[in-house]
Amino acid sequence: MFKILRGAGGERVFRWATISALVVLALFFIGIVVSMMAYTRWDTFVSALFSEEILFAIRLSVTTATVAAVISILIAVPVAYAISRASFPGKDIVDSLLDLPIVISPVALGAALLVFFNTPLGASIDDNVIKFVFSVPGIILAQVTVISALAIRLLKSTFDSIDPRYEQVARTLGCSKPEAFFRVTLPLAKNGLIASGILTWARAVGEFGATVTLAGATAMKTETLPTAIFLSLASADVEKAIAVIFVLVIIAVVALLSIRKITGRRYQI
Amino acid sequence: MIEIKNLTIELGEFFLKDINLSIGDGEYFVILGPTGAGKTVLIECIAGLHRVKQGEIWLGQNEVTHLASEERNLGYVPQDYVLFPFLNVVDNIAFGLRQAKYNRTEIQERVNKLAGLMGISQLLHRDIRSLSGGEKQRVALARALAPSPGILLLDEPLSALDLQTARYLRLELGRVHRELGLTTIHITHDLMEAVDMADRVAVIQNGHVEQVAEPERMLFYPGSERVSDFIGTPNILDCDYCHSLGQGVMEVGCGSLKLIVPHEGISVHKVAILPRHIYVSETRPPGRGVNGFQGTITEIKYARNAVRIALEVGENNLIAEIPYHIFEEMDLNVGKEVFLILRMRRIRVYESNN
Repeated sequence: MFKILRGAGGERVFRWATISALVVLALFFIGIVVSMMAYTRWDTFVSALFSEEILFAIRLSVTTATVAAVISILIAVPVAYAISRASFPGKDIVDSLLDLPIVISPVALGAALLVFFNTPLGASIDDNVIKFVFSVPGIILAQVTVISALAIRLLKSTFDSIDPRYEQVARTLGCSKPEAFFRVTLPLAKNGLIASGILTWARAVGEFGATVTLAGATAMKTETLPTAIFLSLASADVEKAIAVIFVLVIIAVVALLSIRKITGRRYQI
Repeated sequence: MIEIKNLTIELGEFFLKDINLSIGDGEYFVILGPTGAGKTVLIECIAGLHRVKQGEIWLGQNEVTHLASEERNLGYVPQDYVLFPFLNVVDNIAFGLRQAKYNRTEIQERVNKLAGLMGISQLLHRDIRSLSGGEKQRVALARALAPSPGILLLDEPLSALDLQTARYLRLELGRVHRELGLTTIHITHDLMEAVDMADRVAVIQNGHVEQVAEPERMLFYPGSERVSDFIGTPNILDCDYCHSLGQGVMEVGCGSLKLIVPHEGISVHKVAILPRHIYVSETRPPGRGVNGFQGTITEIKYARNAVRIALEVGENNLIAEIPYHIFEEMDLNVGKEVFLILRMRRIRVYESNN
């Protein structure tokens, strides 16, 4: 069959085939957005958007996601650097294990956390240190669990792309190892750091599975934006759900565009 | 004084075996060898970039074998400069000074002085990415020199530059060395670079030091067959008479050859030229033909990547070397008459008997 597709004719057919796939996919997404816009009316959309509940969800999502993103990046920087630079036996296995939270369903992670807080150790942390289960810190913990793996993955590729010789030269110029890291490697990683921060933040805003399992879905208490969609649909309030969906779409678009603006290119995951 | 004692190290495909070197204060020491010989590993060991388990490295009175790079007080210029791309020229040069906690005026003075020495004063506020190869090399050198290191390590400092820039920078490196008197180790695979610049040369091959000698000694008395194989035994001609033509050029008579050589002195005793600097051609080359002769091929020998051709030119015998791919396109055989040119600028001149 591929014999028929030799030469310029084959090239044309191949180009059309690939471009049509792109067109079909684009039409699919545009169709979804248009159907949502057709379903809702501007005034009901605005009143849903500025309802107390949605404004609360926006505030809660933005705060928890920001805290979670900062914690994840602070953890991910040393971890990613260690995996990128160190060589030790079993490094490949550790590297793969750290990818687990990216592929495992967030609900499973949330359930695992919930089980942990039912063990004697977990329960005493929950009772005496910070209350995680069905509370706001639980949202942050769930988000951190899901997004830190992503942050590590992104930062590892950033550190991989930095030639270790920059640090070596810095050391011949008098820097100790930590000084070389802070004076040379971190500035070189600046774009990657910002991009990973934005991407993990956006992912935290959208996190639902782990959050709802650990922190629950109590309106006006642990109600993040995705939880708000879930609660609105559960009570058949489609207008409100659509309003929140648009908020999430806008956040995602702004995040991706700012990454492109900052790094000058699309960020590779 | 730099001393390396019984240094042995293995890093993947590169290795060094039982290296012993002693480099005097203020010496310009060149390490010469083919690609993959272990030159870079050696200089990196001195710079403290590899953990050395066997052997010792001494800088002056101190053993530094197990000290970190930052404790060795050395300047290091890697092969592709590795300038910090997020800093401009000034901040690159000042990097080591800031680290050493110099105050602002001291930093400014030192940066300006080094920029003057390296001839890059007009580049100080430029972005690193906008510099040419030669400019980058100067900035890297200024950055390495800024914290006043005890020794300077240069890894193939001229190999990434175009011929013209490399030739100019070669002179500059020599001048900087004379002005600062800094003990310098310079790595290269280029024989002429080594011969021109070095006080002494170490020839290193397969992780082994084959010979340490003054450049002329290495040229005329290669320490081993491997050294002579790598550098190619030069043609050495005794001269019967000479007279100056002015403007730094002399005419010398060697047997039946009348040669024009670059020389400022009074007399010439011997001249030498490497086989690779004799051009062989089947047809008469165009132009005035300085140092152009006619000769007969007496022997053709195949070496590693080149072909060595023995020629009879009047009463002199010369060896020329042609890269294999060029030889293949020519139709040369024993007994054939050919034209040859001894490249004037490549002829080396010796005044005394030694």
